[in-house]
Amino acid sequence: MIVAGQLALLTAFITAGFSAFALLAGTACERRGLQRAGTVSAAACLVLLTAVTAILIRALLARDFRFACVAEGTDRLLPWYYSLSAFWVGQAGSLLLWSWLLSILAMVFGLWPRSGREPLRPTAFGILMAYLGFLLAVMIFGADPMQPSLEASREGTGLSPLLQHPVMLLHPPIVFLGYAGWAIPFALAAAALITGRLESDWVKQSRPWSLFSWVVLGCGILLGADWAYEELGWGGYWSWDPVENGSLIPWIVGTVLIHALMAWQYRGVLKKTSLALAVATFALCNFATFLTRSGIFSSLHAFSQSPIGWMFLAWMFVLLAGGFVLLLVRRGQLRPQQPVRSFWTRQSLLVLASLGLLLLALVAVAGTTAIPLSRILLGRAIVVGPDFYNGVLVPVGVLLLVTISLVPLLSWGRPPTGEQKRAIRLCVAGGTVAVAAAMLGGVRHPLGLAVVAAVAVTVLSLAAALVLEVRQQQPSLAWPGLRRALGQHRRQYAGFIVHLAFICLAVGVTGSSLGTQRYEATLAEGEAINWADRKVRFVRWIEQRLPDQVVVATELEIGGERAKTFHLLPARHFYTLQRIWTTQVAIHADWAGDFYTILHDNNGQGRASFTLLVNPLMRWMWLSGGVALAGTLLALWPARRSASQHVSERHGGNDPRD
Amino acid sequence: MAGAVVVAVTIYMAFAGASASWQYYLTADECLAREDTLAKDRLRVGGKVAAKTLQVSSDRRQIAFTFQTAKGRLAVLCAGPPPDNLVEGMDVVVEGRLKGPGLLQGEKLLTRCASKYKSSSADASGKPSEAAAARRP
Repeated sequence: MIVAGQLALLTAFITAGFSAFALLAGTACERRGLQRAGTVSAAACLVLLTAVTAILIRALLARDFRFACVAEGTDRLLPWYYSLSAFWVGQAGSLLLWSWLLSILAMVFGLWPRSGREPLRPTAFGILMAYLGFLLAVMIFGADPMQPSLEASREGTGLSPLLQHPVMLLHPPIVFLGYAGWAIPFALAAAALITGRLESDWVKQSRPWSLFSWVVLGCGILLGADWAYEELGWGGYWSWDPVENGSLIPWIVGTVLIHALMAWQYRGVLKKTSLALAVATFALCNFATFLTRSGIFSSLHAFSQSPIGWMFLAWMFVLLAGGFVLLLVRRGQLRPQQPVRSFWTRQSLLVLASLGLLLLALVAVAGTTAIPLSRILLGRAIVVGPDFYNGVLVPVGVLLLVTISLVPLLSWGRPPTGEQKRAIRLCVAGGTVAVAAAMLGGVRHPLGLAVVAAVAVTVLSLAAALVLEVRQQQPSLAWPGLRRALGQHRRQYAGFIVHLAFICLAVGVTGSSLGTQRYEATLAEGEAINWADRKVRFVRWIEQRLPDQVVVATELEIGGERAKTFHLLPARHFYTLQRIWTTQVAIHADWAGDFYTILHDNNGQGRASFTLLVNPLMRWMWLSGGVALAGTLLALWPARRSASQHVSERHGGNDPRD
Repeated sequence: MAGAVVVAVTIYMAFAGASASWQYYLTADECLAREDTLAKDRLRVGGKVAAKTLQVSSDRRQIAFTFQTAKGRLAVLCAGPPPDNLVEGMDVVVEGRLKGPGLLQGEKLLTRCASKYKSSSADASGKPSEAAAARRP
């Protein structure tokens, strides 16, 4: 099977290369037959990669330790689903997953039936296949997933206990799906720049793929934070580690790209920015791989290091240099059509928020690369801590909250009407009342008050925008008017739902950052303490033996005069194969916050040491992922095409509210 | 104008954050070699935990070990609890300051979370370190 897999991988590389050549040459020479051959080769490549993936999955499930991936990532006692997750734990397997997902997306992109007149598609498809060829070359020459195990082993080294968590079944594949997705807006931008077809066609095609990749990568990052929160047992979820930053930076730049595409589509502005951002987002996905594999950064994530990191860095510089040269060549075709004339318009706030986000991304890049940069510039290696990032995150976050809260009541290209101005004043008054109420409720921190104001103004402005819309549609019939407004401008309101997701994220991050309480306790069995308005009682020790681990848990009873009593079981697990202990935190979550408990140790006299934490509003952070997903799905849902839309499209018009 | 304000605030906050949080990043050997000049600096020191030197107090609130170095000795004292996967022979990073010749007072001890598991509890002979197994909750 190993040889069959290696042959399939090699053939996939050849077919990907031929497919890229056939699609690009066939388009350049206008030879349909060559284009068709390219598409057939791409399909063959997908079949071959599916075969390689199936071989590795079978080997993982059968614990075939002749495969190095299997021997290094599983053992016989590991449950089948964690054994499957060893697919993406190693470098070679994760590259195979990335390639396979990219080949699926490339085929969907290449064959998705749309209007039929999309001249950029074959070129972009060819670029995607060329990138797939690069990934396959990296695998063949640097990280072979079909590599045989050097030692004939009857037992594997097992999967790190820290990775034996349900979230780890989802987090890596979702992040790789996001990376694969960002290749498509890049391919479209590159195709538009190469062919000189810079009309809004590439924008329309890029939009759904950008939204898809954005929400997938965002959910992947959130799942990673959830894993850190539940598995690493330090009470936090984000440490600005280079590997975490690696996936966050393209996500931030991708957020700006989505908004820049809207500005191009509706107002004909930010054209050079949109193309540059499409290239940069994808280049940064490659940079993330360089971060994890080069070994030159001080990261807490121990990925295996290899020369493939440098291959991705070289590829990133090729992308950036190529994109810059093409932008320079095409700059004459990329002049803005309708420059911004008033500050109080959607595109002005969009530009301002985008600037803030790009600066945040730049700061994250600077902080992440501080060690090699300072070595080159100062001769000494310097690292920066979380204060460096948080110092910028706070003003940028406030800027985003302000822009998000005002956007529903502003228009593209023209200053607000009298009605809109009145509504803005009412919303700001509502925000002021909310701040006063929060102060009466005990909130004192300026950032907390800013978030309260933003939540109130955003909800009110969204409601006010709907009311104004309904009045315009059918002043006498509220419900039909509402339905019509939501139906006609579904994408706009879907965007506002995604903005609400950001508000949820801000609530969660601010609450858990400002209001965390921590207490270190050492308790004997039956002993109780009063802390954070609750009574915490250590009920008993529990010991359990499982086939591959020993579990030592404690039962804690947490109650209070004003709250329901609940029981938590913080534990420590000893994994017999790896011979290491891991901490399993126990969390009670509700909308007010999390009660988070960590068991440290038996101190030798039957007493147990605990860390107790109250992390307020954490659930709102996880909720943001679901809200963003719902909003994005709503935005991506195919629209029913009416006769008026056909006419509008023929005239090249776009409804700025869609 | 608004854009200029955003850029200025960001640069100022980044500068303020960097001045408050920067640290020299050194290997244990580099730290020993430059010990005299680093007395007042915040440091982030990376290296391997030397064999048979890791000690954790019974309540897991204190950690002590020595870095594996080519020359000299760099001891570390750090407040616990230690990370779960801390074992002898593994790469760790300690944030703190030098408190005397060959002594690093750590404020934070970071181990690598194994995104890729390598049998870190195995010593040079390939056998699991007894220190890893000796700790009981």
